[in-house]
Amino acid sequence: MAILINRETRVLIQGITGRSGAPVTSELLDYGVKVVSGVTPGKGGQEVDTVPVFNSVKEAIEQVGPVDVAMVYVPPLLALDAAMEAIEALAASRGSASGQAEVPLIHIFVEKVPIFDVAKILARAREKNVQVLGPASVGAISPGQGKIGSIGGPNPDKVFSKGPIGVISKSGGMCSELGMLITESGFGQSTVVGIGGDLLTGTTFADLLLEFEKDRQTRAVVAFGEVGGSAEIEAARLIREGKFTKPFIIYLAGKFAEKLPKDTSLGHAGAIVGLEATMDEKIKILKNSGAIVAKQFEDIPGLIKKVI
Amino acid sequence: MKLYEFEGHKILSKAGIESPFFVTCASIEEVREARKRLKFPLLAKLQVLSGKRGKAGGIEIFKTKKKLVEFCRQKFGSEFQGEEVKFINLVQWVKIEEEYYVSITYDTRRKLPFLLFSYRGGVDIEEVKVQDPAAIVKYEINPIRGPAEKDLHKLFGKDEKLVDFVMRLWDAFWRYDCRLVEVNPVAKVTQSVILSDSEGSQDSSPAKRDQNDGYMAIDAKVILDDNGLVRQQGLDVLPKGAIGAIIAKRELEARKIDAEDYRGSAGSTFIELDGDVAILASGGGASLMIMDSVVASGGKCANYTEYSGNPPREKVEKLTKITLSKNGISGCLVAGAVANFTDIFETLSGFAQGLKSVKPKPNYPIVVRRGGPRQKEAYAMLAKFAKKEGFDIHLFGPQTPIPVACKKMVELSNEFKKKIE
Repeated sequence: MAILINRETRVLIQGITGRSGAPVTSELLDYGVKVVSGVTPGKGGQEVDTVPVFNSVKEAIEQVGPVDVAMVYVPPLLALDAAMEAIEALAASRGSASGQAEVPLIHIFVEKVPIFDVAKILARAREKNVQVLGPASVGAISPGQGKIGSIGGPNPDKVFSKGPIGVISKSGGMCSELGMLITESGFGQSTVVGIGGDLLTGTTFADLLLEFEKDRQTRAVVAFGEVGGSAEIEAARLIREGKFTKPFIIYLAGKFAEKLPKDTSLGHAGAIVGLEATMDEKIKILKNSGAIVAKQFEDIPGLIKKVI
Repeated sequence: MKLYEFEGHKILSKAGIESPFFVTCASIEEVREARKRLKFPLLAKLQVLSGKRGKAGGIEIFKTKKKLVEFCRQKFGSEFQGEEVKFINLVQWVKIEEEYYVSITYDTRRKLPFLLFSYRGGVDIEEVKVQDPAAIVKYEINPIRGPAEKDLHKLFGKDEKLVDFVMRLWDAFWRYDCRLVEVNPVAKVTQSVILSDSEGSQDSSPAKRDQNDGYMAIDAKVILDDNGLVRQQGLDVLPKGAIGAIIAKRELEARKIDAEDYRGSAGSTFIELDGDVAILASGGGASLMIMDSVVASGGKCANYTEYSGNPPREKVEKLTKITLSKNGISGCLVAGAVANFTDIFETLSGFAQGLKSVKPKPNYPIVVRRGGPRQKEAYAMLAKFAKKEGFDIHLFGPQTPIPVACKKMVELSNEFKKKIE
């Protein structure tokens, strides 16, 4: 099972001929992912690692068939147009895709997309019933079944292994770090998802918890939370309301920043000190909901052992 | 990026939102000059980024020149709510009939921009939220179509000028990539208000204009979206520091690294701290955990900075030089999570190059903890480099949890400090 991706997922890459688009194409093919087409306007007719390149998403779908996922690998200020194009084209070809694609997915890898552009993309995606992962998302991997984005890089098997733990993090690096910690302690992962650290993200902690709840492979979820934003509070609310019933283990980072002035923003665009809730408030709300808050990062394997 | 009030007004005025006439002064000489263009009574407003200036004595009304100059002389260069006062706005006093509150920002849960409006303006909106929540209206805005006029008429009745004010505020919000625009208070003014001619006019004498029944922004709080700055280079705003209005020298230098090269990121966020363990972290999430772990082990960080997204080695080299340029460093921690697509050999080669050129030659312990593409090659290179060049480098692979490596850094740095005492 797993969530978001499986063996049948058909993928299109926008910006496939670019500096990050070309290497990710090879990585996905090596992992056995069905990358069926790519798009770079003006480069139609070329190939990247046997994947045909087209001038538009619509043309790509007409020529080689529908896709379930479009990955956006373009420069920041072009992300709006690329994502909008993908939303329209994937929504138009809905239902005709391989196995699933009732809700097509747009994965936006691009970092530094202006917030207003993100808001427009997310509003349009909602109107068209298309799911967005990102922006600034490293991707998602269901070990042994498939992956989208750059998660795990060229050697995903080094850190990820198949198993019962769902993993969520804003940070791409922490996806791998958690993957490794869990793998080393003898567990594996169902799906690992990097949602991106921006202020607005298409897929949130809460969205993923609902999917992990339905997924039979997933028996517990581990998350990496951060200073700023409301992702963790939303997750706590789902648990309290009984909509997520599996064990939820979370580590929160950025306590040091509480001493900095309000509104200071750190590595992630959404990691803004004092935005929406303080660290102590988050910890309290999470604990009250029944979530397990890991005091130390290294405690996570032990906590997993306790709950499954 | 949070703006000064006077910068905020400049952005709002681009969308046609007026404010009482003001002159921004950076010195007593400028205050003396500016006063000639204003009539008493007038207000002096300290330009600092912290809020609640009024309550803290940062806004005063003056009827005479003597008192005004005295106040300004005392405030320039002084510290106000932890921030040095560099600018003071002299503002024409206007008679206010009514005060409202209006702001536009993003709801991260609903993933939409929204308007917040209250007929109870001029007071802290957080207090209104608690005391009288019914006095606040929230209206979500479709970012593609903007606010619907019929919705605004439902909110504001026949008050066309208020509808117009809100539409202009929305224009300013999206056109200039703002994360927040807040006007508190929006003032309803009926008297004739003295306004100067626009900038660059030959005639600098005040011109009279009838303002009857209009709305003005008495204050302007604007936060720009950092990701939008690249397409807003025409905005006339001063660079700001990560934790305050005044940007530290090293912070400015670090920020240039990304401005000159779009590949990956290095140094975009650089915060000066008062500790002695230099930090070169990688990744938005891991960097937070690294800082927490150093603090939890009893260490004090000399800075916060971060590089990620597979930057070329030159960028890491530059960031290394800037980070290690501080005096009194007793350790350097190069740490990050297991990378997905960042080439560890490239980035650590950049670190080695940067380290080599730091003067005086660092003799303090250096702890490296990384994982990911080409990490093993990178460590072989660093081990050889350390031996040849005589650096005290401690290498930890991905099997060592980040907090453990951070703890080791603090221990080594403490030993180093004891040794040199």
